[in-house]
Amino acid sequence: MAQGLSKNHRQLDLAEAIAKRWHWKVNVSCDTALSQCYVECDRNQLLELCRWLIDDMDYALGSLIVEETNENWLLRYVFYGEPDSEAVHLGLRLDKAEKTTVPSISPIIHAADWQEREAWDLFGLRFEGHPRLIDIVRHEAWPAEIYPMRKNFDGSQPGPHPPVERPFQPYHVVQAPGAFLMPIGPVFSDAAESALFLLESVGEDVIRIWPRFFYKFRGVEKIAEGQAVDRVLLLAERFSGTSSFAHSLAFCQAVEAICRVDLPSRAQALRIVFAELERFRHHVAAIAGICNSTALAVATSQAGILEEEALRLSGTLTGHRYLFGLNKPGGVTLDLNDRQCEDLSSGVQAIFLKLARLYDLLRYSSSFLDRLEEVGMVTKDQARNYGLVGPIARASGLARDLRQVLPYALYSEISFEVPQEEEGDGYARLRLLFREAEQSAKILQKILSFLPPGEIAAREVALKPGAALGWAEAPRGATFHWVRLDEQGRVRRYHLTTPSFTNWHGFHFAAEDFAYQDFPIIMASFGLSNAECDR
Amino acid sequence: MIDPKRLFFLFLILCGAGVVLAALLPRRANRVVLAWIGSLSSLTILWVGGAVLLSGQAWQVDLWNIWSLGPMVLKMDRLSALFVFIAGLVFLPVSIFSASYMNLPKYVKRYGFKSFGIYYHLLLAAIVLLLVAGDMLSFLLAWEAMSIFSYLLVNYEHEKEDTTKAGYLMLSLGEAGTIAVVLAFFLLARTATGLDFPALRAAAAGMGQASAWAIFLLSFFGFGVKAGLVPTNIWLPLAHPAAPSNVSAILSGVILNLGLYGIVRFNADLLPVKDIGAGAIVLIVGSISALVGILYAVIRNDMKEMLAHSSIENIGIITAGLGAGFIFRIAGLPALAGIAFIAAFYHLLNHSLYKALLFLGAGAVDYSAGERNMDRLGGLIRVMPWTSLFFLVGALSIAALPPFNGFVSEWLTLQTMLRSVELSSMGIKIIFALCAAALALTAALAVTCFVKAFAMSFLGLARSPKASKAVEVNRSMQAPMAILALCCLLFGILPTYVIPVLDNTIATFTHEHMVDELVPPFFTAPQGNARFPQEFVSEFHDLGAQVGRTFLPGQGLVVMHRGTEHNPVVYAMSTSYTFVVLILLMGGSLILFRVLTRSRKVDRGPVWAGGVRQLLPKMTYTATGFSNPVRVIFEAVFRPVIFDEMRETVAEHFLIAVKSQRQEVYILERTMFSPLARLGRWLAALLGKIHSGSVNLYAAYILISLGIVLIIQRLM
Amino acid sequence: MWEWVWEGIRSGIVTTAYPAREETASGVSPGFPTDLPRTFAAAGEASVAASCCPTEALLSEDQQVVLREPRCIHCYRCLRQTETPLAWQWQGNYEWAVSPHPRVELAKKFGRSFRRSLHLRILDAGACGACLSEIEQLNKPYYNMHRLGFFVTPTPRDADVLVVAGPMTEHMRQPLLSAYEAMPTPKAVLALGACAIFGGVFGTSFASMGGVASLIPVDILVPGCPPPPLAILHALLALIGRVEPAACELNSSSPGGERGD
Ligand code: SF4
Ligand code: SF4
Repeated sequence: MAQGLSKNHRQLDLAEAIAKRWHWKVNVSCDTALSQCYVECDRNQLLELCRWLIDDMDYALGSLIVEETNENWLLRYVFYGEPDSEAVHLGLRLDKAEKTTVPSISPIIHAADWQEREAWDLFGLRFEGHPRLIDIVRHEAWPAEIYPMRKNFDGSQPGPHPPVERPFQPYHVVQAPGAFLMPIGPVFSDAAESALFLLESVGEDVIRIWPRFFYKFRGVEKIAEGQAVDRVLLLAERFSGTSSFAHSLAFCQAVEAICRVDLPSRAQALRIVFAELERFRHHVAAIAGICNSTALAVATSQAGILEEEALRLSGTLTGHRYLFGLNKPGGVTLDLNDRQCEDLSSGVQAIFLKLARLYDLLRYSSSFLDRLEEVGMVTKDQARNYGLVGPIARASGLARDLRQVLPYALYSEISFEVPQEEEGDGYARLRLLFREAEQSAKILQKILSFLPPGEIAAREVALKPGAALGWAEAPRGATFHWVRLDEQGRVRRYHLTTPSFTNWHGFHFAAEDFAYQDFPIIMASFGLSNAECDR
Repeated sequence: MIDPKRLFFLFLILCGAGVVLAALLPRRANRVVLAWIGSLSSLTILWVGGAVLLSGQAWQVDLWNIWSLGPMVLKMDRLSALFVFIAGLVFLPVSIFSASYMNLPKYVKRYGFKSFGIYYHLLLAAIVLLLVAGDMLSFLLAWEAMSIFSYLLVNYEHEKEDTTKAGYLMLSLGEAGTIAVVLAFFLLARTATGLDFPALRAAAAGMGQASAWAIFLLSFFGFGVKAGLVPTNIWLPLAHPAAPSNVSAILSGVILNLGLYGIVRFNADLLPVKDIGAGAIVLIVGSISALVGILYAVIRNDMKEMLAHSSIENIGIITAGLGAGFIFRIAGLPALAGIAFIAAFYHLLNHSLYKALLFLGAGAVDYSAGERNMDRLGGLIRVMPWTSLFFLVGALSIAALPPFNGFVSEWLTLQTMLRSVELSSMGIKIIFALCAAALALTAALAVTCFVKAFAMSFLGLARSPKASKAVEVNRSMQAPMAILALCCLLFGILPTYVIPVLDNTIATFTHEHMVDELVPPFFTAPQGNARFPQEFVSEFHDLGAQVGRTFLPGQGLVVMHRGTEHNPVVYAMSTSYTFVVLILLMGGSLILFRVLTRSRKVDRGPVWAGGVRQLLPKMTYTATGFSNPVRVIFEAVFRPVIFDEMRETVAEHFLIAVKSQRQEVYILERTMFSPLARLGRWLAALLGKIHSGSVNLYAAYILISLGIVLIIQRLM
Repeated sequence: MWEWVWEGIRSGIVTTAYPAREETASGVSPGFPTDLPRTFAAAGEASVAASCCPTEALLSEDQQVVLREPRCIHCYRCLRQTETPLAWQWQGNYEWAVSPHPRVELAKKFGRSFRRSLHLRILDAGACGACLSEIEQLNKPYYNMHRLGFFVTPTPRDADVLVVAGPMTEHMRQPLLSAYEAMPTPKAVLALGACAIFGGVFGTSFASMGGVASLIPVDILVPGCPPPPLAILHALLALIGRVEPAACELNSSSPGGERGD
């Protein structure tokens, strides 16, 4: 309780500070339950507020949400900060009748770059002052004038196909004789996900990389509109299958926040169990990916074995190898009995021991380390500038974890460590994956040993109109789900900011001035998912 | 049988007629004159040279006696004949090619045709006269004429600054070489009774060591300039891009040879080198030229500049072969020396053929695409199929891939180098090993270089609008390339017919026949002979070395070096049979494929490019990209003087431009000429100090100089 | 290096015995609801009961509820989120690949020469990652498809089978078509997972086309979301006629029946 009080105080402080600084011209309201501070500002104050939050308060941009009403564009910039500080939402209301330009915050907050481009591409909102406002989601087959996320666009019909495609004009910067863009993808040579990487080079070394995503654009945000919550839940858990539980969790938490549902603590504890199990499995798979990229056959096989064991463990205990179908607004759908808890606990422990052994072997394989060390460097400054999240940011010395910053479920009540590495290279990311897997295993041990008794879901979830942000620390980093429900309890707007989207943006730092042959290693050490990015 | 001597005069008359007609006739007719008179005179010298080469009957014309300088003599022995023959082989297609090629607007509009026609015929005459000169005076006169006319042709586009610069460098370095050659001649003639070659030869026999060294160094330097050997080759990469492509073909195909002719005439015939050190110098200079040449060829993107560097490489290989020959000869291994000379001459012949072919190909590309930078070419094979084919033949030949001619000579050269184990001196062996390694590296890089040249120009997508608008050149430009390509193939698959002729040629100065060393008489002496006993020959007969015997003349189709008892066959190969087998395999598999797929429908799918929606030219590999690994590995050689990468960003992290600047200075300019120039300036400053104006001091200088001269005189 | 060799030996052979013997380990398959024996009082009741399924995998026929496997996405709603669970049992089987063609015709397509060497090109047409992850498991020790002669090839030029996962996004349409075109005949298409079969939870929309069958003919379908590795293995074996595909109840024009939205 004491903690709650102090938190309240700090929130008021922040609100007051903002109000004072802007001479009470902005409208600040705080909501402790949602741990957020909402600041209504206008376009002239936006940049100043952003700069203040980033530079003075050390906040990071989490998400940029655009909503369309009949008269207005509502823009919401979500910032989050240090542990136990509330999120700050900057709201900007623009009249639709006026010209639809928005001041761009990208020049001062680089993390907004892709978010603004996405908004431009999907809504046709022009961000004034954005240095590179080129398309990101829509490919050449899209007519230039059709913006799919606008309300007047019918998402249920097949996409428009103009007879003549727009010419593909890849962005490039190298001005040297003989410079060229080497295309890799969109169909890769193994089971990799579709994306096009244009490697700008004059031979041998790659100077700059220009990734092109959204080959897998399924328009989740659009097709969610007008659907019932339980259908959108399916989308939330299945748009990125390898981090399905985390995303469904963020979605459910958003719905629960709208409907102000209190969850039984067993439900919350079970959510932690599943989330950590997913993180554990994801990290094992990511380690296997890194081993594979360095062509270390035995290690790849060993990690592959562990991955499959983790999958089987999940399958045995939850019925689904990728933990689909476990969440629902108000709780979880599956209980674990004591035996199962024990099985899970010992199963994870067994896998973890083997993983530790693998790590010990890897640490002393110099040929393996040579290929990872100082490869794919991302410095702390770059990570901060780009607002990178998850293991990648933490491997660059930026220890931000939503489980600590904006605790959800029962995370505030269990103690765990958020590992951090400083070097920011491929090896640092590998070490971080191992350490996080270890933490997940520990959390699982802890929580499984004293699962609180009780219901696994709230009795009833009465859907109400409203909007709220849900978030979770997915295996790859912070994810934010913005959900707005209408009167019928259907989803009116669903916006996703995913860690892969955020982190791919900073990928080019890691892939700068490198040799071609390191490309798969850098990719694997990032371990991102295009499905999660493309949505 | 027409008397070659008469034909020779006919040739001179033809050249004269060419000059006169070019000067008189209007422009349109001029092209026809060039094509007809040029090819007729080339045919005459082909005939003259060929007749002497095959029959071995040298002829001689004594012109007149000037005063006490002795007779002026024109004499064609086999050595001259070989070079004359090669000149004819190059001039013939080039003459035909020029008629259309010189039609390019950039030439016609500004410079007209007249001067070209005049210089062209004069150059041809000067070259041939130089080759048949039988005395010092006519040699030097022809040499000077050749230098000047070739300069005038290279300098054809004299309104361009780059061209005049290149021409000037070519002329001044060439003159420096000429001075060295003159000095060498004077040293040689000091004790001679006359100025004709026999007299010089006689004088050379009694030459002291110091003089011999001086003559060797002077002549090697002087002729090396013309041949394009390091370190005096810096004019070559500039002259080639500046010259019209047909002139380039002559430059590389004939004029560089003249430098080698000089080296051979001087150091193998008139005054055979006696010191193994001299041979080593030739070998080392050759190997370094080869390596430096190919390294720069790989990274250059201008087709003609690339070919120019590649000429340096090939001349280097030839020179290395000559050096090996000198060394073996001095070391008392005449058989190996003979083989080395044969290899060198073979390569010389081949290089003239394929280099002329490649320059004509580059000319054809330039003609129809207006672009020589490989970064901006690409995809020409679809619009210029024939040119592509001929260029491919040239590229395969120069990359030394069987069954084309480059393979035979480069293989022989490398094999000969490996035989250096038979030498006794350890130092020379080490030098040989290093040079062989350099040449092997050169051969490997040559493949890279010409894979790049062909792939980047002819395959893939057109990387510039110019390249996409190119069309095939007309027949009169294709035919010359076809002739040369055919020659490349023939000289590749019939080495056993070429080697005896070359053997006879080198016998003019080695006085020994080595043909049995290389071409066993599988056809003519199936029972074997002294060198190849019965068992040995029949063993090879079982392997099929006799295939073709019934209908083919000659000794056989296998090139083989017969070694010692322990090691009876050092190496053996037959491009002739390889060619047949290749044809059979390729034809066979084609037929098999046709038969197997007779009843099937053949699908042709588009290029698989990873599923990219629109594959843009920007996304294809460039020539720069292709050669960049070599550039990176050998950065120590290229050592850019300026290498900047500037990144322009807005708002801190939005990268909007990466501008890279790179400037290189040619390695020889960097390491030799710039320091020399600095030294020159320093000396000039020093001289300024010495000139104090005091009479006494000048008297002292004179005394000191006199003393030095006397000392030198003693030493010689 | 020796540690690695030892490590490899130490962990022994873990590879499944399938197809020689059945795999009995638990957790290898999410399975389908099975055993839907209840007879409802009225047809209306049956359809109400079936409506708990979000993808219309459950269909009411008279008073019965039947399952159309290709449309099931293992959401467990029929088990966990109904008043009285509809499905009493969950079947852990995995041999459920179905084909519009019977076994003999499938076998004819490739003939005997492909039986021990089949090259796959995987094409991700918007898959969520789980499907692709399951394919990758096939390359790893537990399933090791190489032992059965299945290989992943880098280019469709060498591929015999195009494995398509995902609901066929608009943006991958052209790459898919060019990959299909680039493949030599005989070629087959394997639709992997609910998404590739009928669009899965994404259905048909402005961005996705609701399965591959709308673009190219499909030879074999592997239901599941995601289909477990063993199901994919079963499909591949069925494709070259080494095993029987599951009982065929598809009309090839619209695999998985009508689309739900
Ligand atoms: S598991 Fe889900 S999809 Fe499958 S039948 Fe049951 S409700 Fe339908
Ligand atoms: S079928 Fe299921 S697992 Fe496969 S891609 Fe679709 S949603 Fe993902």
